[in-house]
Amino acid sequence: MEPAVKVLLIEDSPVDSRLLRLLLSESTTSHFELAHVERLSEGLKRLSEERFDVALSDLTLPDSHGFETFQALHARAPDMPIIVLSGVDDETLAVKAVREGAQDYLVKGRVDGHVLSRAIFYAIERHRTEQALQESENHYKYLLESITDYSYTVRLENGQPIKTIHGPGCISVTGYHPTDYEAVPDLWYQMVHEADRAAVEEQARRALAGETPPPLEHRIIHKNRQVRWVRNTVVPSRDRQGRLVAYDGLIADVTERKRAEEKLVTSEAFYHSLVENLPQNILRKDLKEQFTFANQRFCSMLGKPLEEIIGKTDFDFFPPGLAAKYQRDDRHVIRTGQTFETVEENVAPNGAKTYVNVIKTPIYDAKGKIIGIQGIFWDITERKRFEQQLQKANEELARSEADLRKSHEELKSAQLQLIQAEKMESIGTLAAGVAHEVKNPLAILMMGVNYLTKKFPPGDENLGLVLKEMKDAIGRADSITRGLLDFSASRQLAIKSQDLNSLIEGTLQLVRHELSQKRIHLVKEWGERLPPVGVDKTQIQQVFVNIFLNAIHATPQEGTITVRTYVKQLTETSHSEGSRKAAAFWVGDTAVVAEVDDTGSGIPDEYLARIYDPFFTTKPTGMGTGLGLPVSKKIIELHGGSVDIRNRKTGGVRVTIMLKAQREQT
Amino acid sequence: MAKKRILLVDDEKSFTNLLKLNLEETGNYEVRVENWAEDAYGAAKEFKPDLVLLDIIMPRMPGGNVAAQIKEDSELKDTPIVFLTAAVRKQQVEDAEGIICDFPCLAKPATVDMVVETIEKHAKRR
Repeated sequence: MEPAVKVLLIEDSPVDSRLLRLLLSESTTSHFELAHVERLSEGLKRLSEERFDVALSDLTLPDSHGFETFQALHARAPDMPIIVLSGVDDETLAVKAVREGAQDYLVKGRVDGHVLSRAIFYAIERHRTEQALQESENHYKYLLESITDYSYTVRLENGQPIKTIHGPGCISVTGYHPTDYEAVPDLWYQMVHEADRAAVEEQARRALAGETPPPLEHRIIHKNRQVRWVRNTVVPSRDRQGRLVAYDGLIADVTERKRAEEKLVTSEAFYHSLVENLPQNILRKDLKEQFTFANQRFCSMLGKPLEEIIGKTDFDFFPPGLAAKYQRDDRHVIRTGQTFETVEENVAPNGAKTYVNVIKTPIYDAKGKIIGIQGIFWDITERKRFEQQLQKANEELARSEADLRKSHEELKSAQLQLIQAEKMESIGTLAAGVAHEVKNPLAILMMGVNYLTKKFPPGDENLGLVLKEMKDAIGRADSITRGLLDFSASRQLAIKSQDLNSLIEGTLQLVRHELSQKRIHLVKEWGERLPPVGVDKTQIQQVFVNIFLNAIHATPQEGTITVRTYVKQLTETSHSEGSRKAAAFWVGDTAVVAEVDDTGSGIPDEYLARIYDPFFTTKPTGMGTGLGLPVSKKIIELHGGSVDIRNRKTGGVRVTIMLKAQREQT
Repeated sequence: MAKKRILLVDDEKSFTNLLKLNLEETGNYEVRVENWAEDAYGAAKEFKPDLVLLDIIMPRMPGGNVAAQIKEDSELKDTPIVFLTAAVRKQQVEDAEGIICDFPCLAKPATVDMVVETIEKHAKRR
């Protein structure tokens, strides 16, 4: 037995509903299961709760009237067939409902059991068929839209095309309907991209000539104005006598493939251009350290074409040490999977040495496994050179800054010297005046003492002692004034060519008494073949007497005094303190140097700066005038020489006198 | 033996007094003192000295001018002149062996003995 047919009855009239129920129950062919509601809202509610095979509905209900009733039901259950129940008076409305999708309509009061059940079955069946049809149509429509290949046939008569028939697929590929092609015979030709028309014509010509031309890929303009690529394959078709009666063509839309290809080509051209035009050497090696790729730049560096590089290793091109180094770096990249970057020296096969910046990265296969390395390197010799130049320039700058600072120090020192010189000059001028004025009173005193000495002949010891001390005092005062005058005098020098060794030897004779008194050990280290010096012998002897007396005073009993002479080539400009001249010696001058070393206690640091000050002395009163060194210095400077006095590291003082060597007379 | 006549020209009164005293004390010299340089030539003409001891730096007229006046005078031109002055130093005198600018020199302060020695060396023989 067939399953019961579920019927939803929406009818507010109790009479009609009872009648319909009765009619359905009387059916002998089928069993109906009836659900009855009186209002649309109830009907809609039931529809959302369960599935019905069919609905019978009056259009005029307490909560809905007319056509809206049908619309509401159809919207709620579009797959369910609906039979509209109508009165005699509103049949027009029922017809409209059928037009809009109702399966049928029944006029109340004119329905018997047979009609009713047939109407219900038909409604269900018809609705099922309609749905299947709809589904089928949808399916084919979808298929049709998906198909990008289609065929066409060109019919020929006497070798000339008379008609072209395009398959339905032409819509999806070209946007035109087969009828469009029938209406416009050369539509196909018009669609072909202008640039491809010659090729299309050639293909057609060959097909007409009976050949089987190779498939042609060309562009067409789709109805929507887009450019599409098609592959056009032509096959001649012959009758039994072998006459060409038509040719068939297959059109395939290859736009997507073409685009992908173009993209690939473009991309490859792009990367090729990069690899070959970048100013870098690019190479690849496999895990066996064999080259798998080299760009042109790298090829020309190696001096070989690519095919002679592929498969070779670094050892075929580079010095063994370098090749080993390169491979070591490669293995590091392969082992760690990390990028390696360095700056190193490269030696090309032609021997050219360059500094290169190298970057090595691992190459992976599709599965992410390392299959080799890629190296990129470029010449940075210039940069390196600039860096070095820059560094050198920096160093020079630093050096010149140091020079500048040194010059500044020298300037400062020169300024101090100048101040000192000014001081000395004014002291000198003053001293000269004072000395002269003091001498006259001294002369008077001397005369007086002389007279008294005569008037009181020996006998009175005290008187004699007084007169002697007075005479000594006059002598002392006189020697001070004499020193002052020596210091201040701007004198004419009696310059003569002298041998410094014999000059000093002569001076030593003058102090031999003092030397022997203290039993001083005198060491003489005479320089050999000293050039002569142009000096005023008396003046210079005065200087050396002074220096020797100072040394003797400073040296303890049985101490040592060393006199040394030698020649010196000046390598730097010397400044002489207290001199108004800029420099006593210049680089390249030849100097004759005399050094006098004593073994005394040295000069206390606090006195060093004052040793040339007039009247500064550390000797007991009466033992020194404090003018010896200032005068000596002045004399040496008048000779264009220099004096240097400093404590020796090993104790005692060293006095260094430098005098200009006379140019050898040739 | 006749005493030697010495003309002493120096602006320092104390000095001339004492030197005159010392020289005359020896008993060998007759000393005339002149403290003003411009009077020296007149004194020389009058005194006709055997030697002139002449200071150099004096007010109003330097000793050099006095020497020139004497040397230009035909009568006095052979009179020896010794400069006794603070303007030279003993060292200079020694270096020049007593003669500076053609004239014997003595540096002040000099002892009486030195003055006597110099006078004896250069004075006109009588």
